[in-house]
Amino acid sequence: MAKKGVPEWLNSSLWSSSPSPIPDDRPLRPPPAAATTVPPSPPIFERPAPSPSAISTAPAPIRPPSKSETNDLQNGSGVDGPGSVTPAAEDVSRKTQVVAELSKKVIDLKELRKIASQGLPDDAGIRSLVWKLLLGYLSPDRSLWSSELAKKRSQYKQFKEELLMNPSEVTRKMEKSKGGDSNDPKIEGPGALSRSEITHEDHPLSLGTTSLWNNFFKDTEVLEQIDRDVMRTHPDMHFFSGDSPVAKSNQDALKNVLTIFAKLNPGIRYVQGMNEILAPIFYIFKNDPDKGNAAYAEADAFFCFVELMSGFRDNFCQQLDNSVVGIRYTITRLSMLLKHHDEELWRHLEVTTKINPQFYAFRWITLLLTQEFNFVESLHIWDTLLSDPEGPQETLLRVCCAMLILVRRRLLAGDFTSNLKLLQNYPPTNISHMLYVADKLRSK
Amino acid sequence: MVLVLALGDLHVPHRAADLPPKFKSMLVPGKIQHIICTGNLCIKEIHDYLKTICPDLHIARGEFDEDARYPETKILTIGQFKLGLCHGHQVIPWGDLDSLAMLQRQLDVDILVTGHTHQFTAYKHEGGVVINPGSATGAYSSINQDVNPSFVLMDIDGLRVVVYVYELIDGEVKVDKIDFKKTSTSNSAP
Repeated sequence: MAKKGVPEWLNSSLWSSSPSPIPDDRPLRPPPAAATTVPPSPPIFERPAPSPSAISTAPAPIRPPSKSETNDLQNGSGVDGPGSVTPAAEDVSRKTQVVAELSKKVIDLKELRKIASQGLPDDAGIRSLVWKLLLGYLSPDRSLWSSELAKKRSQYKQFKEELLMNPSEVTRKMEKSKGGDSNDPKIEGPGALSRSEITHEDHPLSLGTTSLWNNFFKDTEVLEQIDRDVMRTHPDMHFFSGDSPVAKSNQDALKNVLTIFAKLNPGIRYVQGMNEILAPIFYIFKNDPDKGNAAYAEADAFFCFVELMSGFRDNFCQQLDNSVVGIRYTITRLSMLLKHHDEELWRHLEVTTKINPQFYAFRWITLLLTQEFNFVESLHIWDTLLSDPEGPQETLLRVCCAMLILVRRRLLAGDFTSNLKLLQNYPPTNISHMLYVADKLRSK
Repeated sequence: MVLVLALGDLHVPHRAADLPPKFKSMLVPGKIQHIICTGNLCIKEIHDYLKTICPDLHIARGEFDEDARYPETKILTIGQFKLGLCHGHQVIPWGDLDSLAMLQRQLDVDILVTGHTHQFTAYKHEGGVVINPGSATGAYSSINQDVNPSFVLMDIDGLRVVVYVYELIDGEVKVDKIDFKKTSTSNSAP
């Protein structure tokens, strides 16, 4: 097998994606096998320290995180896994780093990005705060936060009032402001009811383009689509689905955000998949231990969602599919990236087995890998994606490329059907080293 | 925000061929949640047509209806309102407010919808509101030869009803609006 273009370390058996026999109950990234301040290196490779601090970045062991716990995010990095040497040392150190950075008066975004690209700890609302900073919702200057937040949240409230009212309420409001109608109607005695003429075209059956009612009915199609998709979001999570009032209110919040987004962006309206991009954002903000923040999770999630979408909206626009900014081009770029790093695999996939990258990469790219891994893992991946100063797209492509490279052995051995099955149901894998591989691709 | 269409006295095919085209263009499926029809359709084709506009269709029997199975009166609850439906030829004198009020008290409803006079009216009395949507096709009646096609659309929103009256006058659709609020005296809820 010609190892042309594939570095030694990639082919090591350490990177095979078959699950290890150790069952583990830890909800998160597995603890490092040994972590001291001196970076120990297993014989094959060394993990480069991304930040020039003395904190160790010990290599992560080859243990896929178990998928069983999805809702248990509050288990912080303090939980010790069984039998590991200094299990939480790396996580704790990372946490202190983040907390230190966050408690500064003016936060250095570059520094924060570097830290975030390694992954964020799952507790104490850190992720919520960091994502808001990375997405530009909060400015780095801490003193501006309260005023900015108040402004944005009231803006969202205004959006809701304007855009989410049905026409009956709108007409009632308009009348109230016009006629000074008190709540008690003029008590009319028995007899004919007074009629008032409608001067402008607004009645429920109106077909006029400026009619409130007509536009309302036209929007119902979009609303129905949003409703359907929200119902289908993460059916396995109690947070999102089921009959509990919590789930219902979360679903309503998701619907509101998506509806307002669709109404404010008539260019792309709502496309299936946007709900999947919104879900992690809303989940993180809603589970913020700070009750004040959690109460406004919907408003915060809306603005962060808009920010994230601004980079990705071209993927959702059908007219742009074939253009330079569209999804097809992005997929081609992924393909080229793979060819650059691993020509043999690329050739096998595209030429020998003729797998069109659209078959698997479309979902990976448009949904930012939320559907390929379980919820907890995708949060971790998003930490890295959002921390990229150039925008998530570049990192996303590198991660996708890493995903392909990590299963190269199985891909090279497979034919069209088995490869496609493998790629469309990507096997559970160790997220940390997948991200590490992706990072390595950058340096080339 | 529940939209209820009230119409009746179409007398198709005996006295009119069909609804006016301007009305038909407005009555598209998907917008209306309920239809209440005072009767005298008279044929099954109109029944089917109304079903395409909205599947929830309630009809009371008019004296010329060919389907004998429609009930004489009907009571529905929509939102906070109880609506009563009756064709009106049974109430004598035809179109008399006091007699209709009697019927309304009998049925114990907030809004009584009747027809037969082919004339749009909306009355209020202590017991509630009586609405007559007129004739949707403009068919002549035994009392009146010159009838403007009309029907009624009610927007029921909580304790408030906005009644939109659609009339075809000289070839133009005129829309009027009537506001009605229910005082929160209870009709005993089921």
